Amino acid sequence: MRPLDLTEKDPSKKVTIYFEGKPYEAYEGEKIPVALLANGIYWLTTSLQGRKRGAFTFGPLPIVLNGMKNVDGRKAKVRDGIRIERQNYGEFQEAVEIDGTKEPLRVVVDVAVIGGGIAGIGAALEMQEHLTVALIEEKGWLGGLMFLESVPQGGFDEEPRKVVKGLTSKFNENLRVFTQTVALGVFDEGEYFLVPAAKGDQLVEIMAKRVVLATGAVENILLFENNEFPGVFRLDFALEVINKWGVAPGRKVAVVGRRPERIIPELEKWGIEYVVVPNPKRVEGEEKVERLIDTNGNVYEVDAVIVSDYRIPDINPITQAGGKLRFKRGHYLPVLDSKNRIREGIYVAGSAAGIKPHRANYIEGRLVGAHILREFGYEASPAVYREQLEEYEVEGMPLPVIDFSMNLEDVQICGCDVNFKKVDDVVKSGIKDLQIIKRLTHLAMGFCQGRFCLYNGALLVSQRTETPMGELDIPVARPPLKNVKMKVVARGE
Amino acid sequence: MPTKELPERSEITIIGGGIIGVALAHELAKRGEEVTVIEKRFIGSGSTFRCGTGIRQQFNDEANVQVMKRSVELWKKYSEEYGFPFEQTGYLFLLYDDEEVEEFKKNIAIQNRFGVPTRLITPEEAKEIVPLLDTSEVIAASWNPTDGKASPFHSTAKFALHAEEFGARLVEYTEVKDFIIENGEIKGLKTSRGTIKTGIVVNATNAWAKLINAMAGIRTKIPIEPYKHQAVITQPIRKGAVKPMVISFRYGHAYLTQTSHGGIIGGVGYEEGPTYDLNPTYEFLREVSYYFTKIIPALRELLILRTWAGYYAKTPDSNPAIGKIEELSNYYIAAGFSGHGFMMAPAVAEMVADLITKGKTDLPVEWYDPYRFERGELRGQALQMG
Ligand SMILES: Cc1cc2nc3c(=O)[nH]c(=O)nc-3n(C[C@H](O)[C@H](O)[C@H](O)COP(=O)(O)OP(=O)(O)OC[C@H]3O[C@@H](n4cnc5c(N)ncnc54)[C@H](O)[C@@H]3O)c2cc1C
Repeated sequence: MRPLDLTEKDPSKKVTIYFEGKPYEAYEGEKIPVALLANGIYWLTTSLQGRKRGAFTFGPLPIVLNGMKNVDGRKAKVRDGIRIERQNYGEFQEAVEIDGTKEPLRVVVDVAVIGGGIAGIGAALEMQEHLTVALIEEKGWLGGLMFLESVPQGGFDEEPRKVVKGLTSKFNENLRVFTQTVALGVFDEGEYFLVPAAKGDQLVEIMAKRVVLATGAVENILLFENNEFPGVFRLDFALEVINKWGVAPGRKVAVVGRRPERIIPELEKWGIEYVVVPNPKRVEGEEKVERLIDTNGNVYEVDAVIVSDYRIPDINPITQAGGKLRFKRGHYLPVLDSKNRIREGIYVAGSAAGIKPHRANYIEGRLVGAHILREFGYEASPAVYREQLEEYEVEGMPLPVIDFSMNLEDVQICGCDVNFKKVDDVVKSGIKDLQIIKRLTHLAMGFCQGRFCLYNGALLVSQRTETPMGELDIPVARPPLKNVKMKVVARGE
Repeated sequence: MPTKELPERSEITIIGGGIIGVALAHELAKRGEEVTVIEKRFIGSGSTFRCGTGIRQQFNDEANVQVMKRSVELWKKYSEEYGFPFEQTGYLFLLYDDEEVEEFKKNIAIQNRFGVPTRLITPEEAKEIVPLLDTSEVIAASWNPTDGKASPFHSTAKFALHAEEFGARLVEYTEVKDFIIENGEIKGLKTSRGTIKTGIVVNATNAWAKLINAMAGIRTKIPIEPYKHQAVITQPIRKGAVKPMVISFRYGHAYLTQTSHGGIIGGVGYEEGPTYDLNPTYEFLREVSYYFTKIIPALRELLILRTWAGYYAKTPDSNPAIGKIEELSNYYIAAGFSGHGFMMAPAVAEMVADLITKGKTDLPVEWYDPYRFERGELRGQALQMG
């Protein structure tokens, strides 16, 4: 087994890949960063400011694959003999192949459900008997975060993955599932909504009469020095490498963040050695995490750090689709009407509407499904789901208090080289409006369009200018919701 | 979230905190005038922060060439004094047929007459300037190395900061809702945060100018209509990959360049309107990608980060309306800038400040006479990008 393998892999899939010219053992179909991680390689790219980055925190992951630059390393899979090289941000392929643009694939359904997590699955199941549904999921699996957990939690008694498998096995032929498909936005087209999506290089145009945004939440980015260094893991990535790929994040890991209980059961189950560090200050190392230092000066020799904190709703799909926000108990949340709509025709379910247990998200999916069924004239009982849903509480998040004594230049707000100092300097120069600060620093204007960084940017502005979070002018997301290559959307001749 | 109190009164009040209003406030305050800007959201939130960053002197008439020549001098001066990115990386118009070349030869002659060093270059020379270009169909290019680009964010913010230093007041998140007029004179403005007594009022609301004119009761025909124009930006790439603004009328009236941050920014001639709708469209995303990748094939492999929409506030001849409106004794307008209001702002600020403080200006402001529509004296169509 490779140094960080947790499980035996199928020997018939064993191949050799080359990283920076050296051969490594890998398995056909593995994600490239996972195969490299298993071999103990964390540092895969370098940001515009020269910061080393890995695959598992934030920021893009451009790699050179078989001589082709600017390939998304998170999406590329292992094949026998492939050659991978590190690439800096900003490098790109100058000589490109011009194959004719493919015609988009057109799909017409009653309802487009964006997001194949447990809420999206609930909505699809509720509607599939009477309505045609397209279920669009960016990842290669359904069930979202739940599919990555192996320990029962969130209101289901069974192993989460089994629950997901059980539910998706009930899908019928009215339901079309698009995995590894990225929805680019929601556009109004009269009687229809148009949801264009990219499945690899294929553009898919989904026309639907109703849209469900079951687009989930993202992990809150914890603020400490070098918080994006190779070897720092976002919780969802840690769960993915462990439970989907059978690879450990490290031999000895530090768990940081305010919700260590989210990852500890998994680490215990797999026997991964860990230490909980509630007050991280800085990580250090040459090419990957070698040690974590806390605010009391304690030094922990670890080879990975897992951030296990709160989740925050992904507000980008909401604002792109025309939804308004409110700030409640630590979260920006969509303003919803009594049917869970941001406006006529567009519904929200799951973590995107507020963080709550998996079971509650599932019920909320069924709830919006029931509302839609009714709109199409079918029998349904949203009231029953509403009642069930009321048994669960929407989670709040205590506002993190920023420690301004840190070396702010090393505290990254996002993967686009926006650090705390850059933002703080603008605030100190007398500019207090988040909208303008955003444009002067590029906060929320890069690859994630604010999905991960906007919250912390808002937090800084709020705390430095003593403006309540709810009074900040929050920028809205623009299409495409997620990055897409020009050649994929370029219309034909 | 308003950060400043609305003053009780102001000698001069500018409605609209885009680059025009802010640069004008800066110029007036610098000359010692008491001036207040009222902006309904935040500075730049109208079209300014949504613009394509381009600054050019390559126009097709004498007035715009002269005004833009002065503007470029001011861009250079203030970018050096205040420290914001303004780069003279040129404008490169790609030309594909003889007719286009003839047209541009005429423009170049006008530009040269006023000392703008534009010249016709070969496709090979164009490719040296931007090696990524596909010049296979290009027969010539019109090239002026002294044109350029500036960051709308940093420039507007700096003009605003320095305007305040000179004593101007910028009041954000405050909307003008009505005028208080007595005997043909503006006495005050009603806003969402109370009333301000005022002397001179300048309508610098561009896309909203017709609404402000309506509030002022202006009957003169000043047709300025909002059209939705969109723009795109890609992931940042190596600096210097696309230095000048590249223009191709052949491919969708496209314009594109690289920002100081590294992304490729630009747009095409895709237009909707008149409308106040600003939702980016899927059609634009597809069209802009098609045209851009025709002009620079390497863009095929770049990630699109974002698209957005803003307004071209258009008049029938694509020239702005700048001057005093005689129906009221103290009312001026500087609006209707189509796709070139950002680049003109420093010169417009100078012209309007001259009119207000001296009653005249050396720059050819008559070209932008707000009464030309009523008199049926439209100018030649100003060369418009996008
Ligand atoms: C996609 C795109 C690309 C462009 N590219 C370029 C380019 O490359 N180069 C170039 O020179 N130009 C370009 N332009 C044009 C340029 O953006 C505009 O001409 C310029 O920004 C106009 O500035 P302004 O100050 O007149 O208007 P704005 O920036 O729109 O300012 C007007 C302000 O008035 C405010 N306002 C309106 N009503 C009220 C009210 N009742 N009370 C208070 N405030 C009010 C608005 O909120 C707004 O902020 C582009 C435009 C677009 C849309």
